[in-house]
Amino acid sequence: MNGFEFTHRPIDAAALTGSLADPAAGGFAAFEGWVRDHNDGRRVARLEYEAFEELALREGRRIVAEAIRRHGARRAHCVHRLGALEVGELAVWVGVASAHRAEAFAACRQIIDEIKHLVPIWKKEHFDDGDSGWVNCAHCAEAAQAPGFDYSRQIALPEIGAAGQRRLAESAVVVVGAGGLGCAVLAGLAGAGVGTLVIVDHDVVEPANLHRQPLYSTNDIGRPKAGAAASRLAAYNPTIQLRPLPVRLTPANAAGLVAQGDVVVDCSDNFATKFLVNDAAVLAGRPAVLASVYQYEGQLQVVRPDADGSCLRCQWPEATRDGLVGNCAESGVIGPVPAVLGNLQAMEVLKLLLGLPGQLRNELLLVDLLDLSQRRLQAPRAPECKGRCARIAELAAPVPAGTLEVSVSLAEAALQGYRIIDIREPDECLALPMPLPGHEAIPLGQLLDGATRLDPGLRYLLVCSSGRRSLAAAELLRADDQGNVWSLRGGLTVTMRTQNAK
Amino acid sequence: MPRIRLRYYALLREQAGRQEETVETAARTPAALYQELILRHGFRLPQAQLKVAVNAAFTDWTYALADGDEVVFIPPVAGG
Ligand SMILES: [Zn+2]
Repeated sequence: MNGFEFTHRPIDAAALTGSLADPAAGGFAAFEGWVRDHNDGRRVARLEYEAFEELALREGRRIVAEAIRRHGARRAHCVHRLGALEVGELAVWVGVASAHRAEAFAACRQIIDEIKHLVPIWKKEHFDDGDSGWVNCAHCAEAAQAPGFDYSRQIALPEIGAAGQRRLAESAVVVVGAGGLGCAVLAGLAGAGVGTLVIVDHDVVEPANLHRQPLYSTNDIGRPKAGAAASRLAAYNPTIQLRPLPVRLTPANAAGLVAQGDVVVDCSDNFATKFLVNDAAVLAGRPAVLASVYQYEGQLQVVRPDADGSCLRCQWPEATRDGLVGNCAESGVIGPVPAVLGNLQAMEVLKLLLGLPGQLRNELLLVDLLDLSQRRLQAPRAPECKGRCARIAELAAPVPAGTLEVSVSLAEAALQGYRIIDIREPDECLALPMPLPGHEAIPLGQLLDGATRLDPGLRYLLVCSSGRRSLAAAELLRADDQGNVWSLRGGLTVTMRTQNAK
Repeated sequence: MPRIRLRYYALLREQAGRQEETVETAARTPAALYQELILRHGFRLPQAQLKVAVNAAFTDWTYALADGDEVVFIPPVAGG
């Protein structure tokens, strides 16, 4: 038996130990967590455990599998009790069998620590005096045992105090994107003691991320960012709970993910996700804190559907297509810029959770870190705000990228009857001329300004250097009913490489 | 002619090669002004992809410009 499970019945430790028997195992280590009769100086009469089961099972299995892999254990299993328990009962059991004792101890320790930190389990304590209350397990189990983490300097702020600190511990924040902005947001909120952080990111850590994403180290390369960030933050602050979700935010899951937090923070690096976060937040009536960076500048906006505030679509009704303006990879980025913007986001989240004054609302903040200027632009709510965001359904069915892109050589494309349009800027065309005559050169801006109308009787193939701008242009032209437009996949770079290889 | 103060961000700052400038212009609206600037600085983003703010508030492209106005063209930004 290898894995993780919940049970509503008493745990039979002897039977579980037997189930891990393995002739190749020379060592076995087990940990048992028991219900004790006191917590925080109060007498505890009994306990109830509750879990977000679907997610907890997935996370629990991942933790056990990871511990087996990392320590080279033979077999490992963890069972967590749910429901009502009396003092002295077994609440959680972990067992590991391995060739030698060292791996068994290490894997067992890792499993119980990560289960406590990462798995969404709550505990309701019934005290002798009749009082009771739900506590996040990571919180109650570790808070007392983490004397190294002390919020006193923050509690000393008169606007926060012990009540504010409790409010933070009870709050949950969903962070979409664990890149440059996300690292700063997550570190800021974890340090402040926000009780639960949900980390949504489907990417893995790459070497080119590290200079601006200090939650990761070179050892994390290739590891999913959500999990790597959660491990790092769990070690940083053991009093909070982390929920890593290595998934892409999609129209299908956006509403469900946004509902997991009191606030959602957009730290993504593409327009599709930013609009999705905005729309899901508006539809759910939850605040969203959005930021973006470009080279030495950033923009910050707080979407407040819960307070009749404006949203991203109030100023930008149509979702901007990705590929039209540069991203971090194309335009370059330096660490402190996303770090500053991310910390501004973290501060706005804390202001929201704590009800602090001066919250950004109905404004767009522009920050320039070269000349250190800031500008606040009034961005009022559009009367049709909510109707626009109802387009989340529309986002669910964008033109499938596959049908917009073709992979052909330019010569074949010409033979197949495509009119080829080079949408690069004149200086790019000079630097890398098209390898084939007989094409038109219409720079992107000119093609999209509406003055150039394409002939509906012809088929067009748009070409740029990487295939990104041409895909964005093809999407926009299709949306504008200029139907017969395709994009050359991979652009000139790929075409030339293929050609040279022949 | 009215003097307008301009402030550039992101792609527009790069393409203009400056963060701000003051121009004398006959343009009566932000839309007309942006067309002038396309010629002057070679801006590549179509107007439809931009928003405009005059005197620190988002406005529409037909706003009647007056002497001393401060105009900011805001490109969308998605880096994270
Ligand atoms: Zn809106």
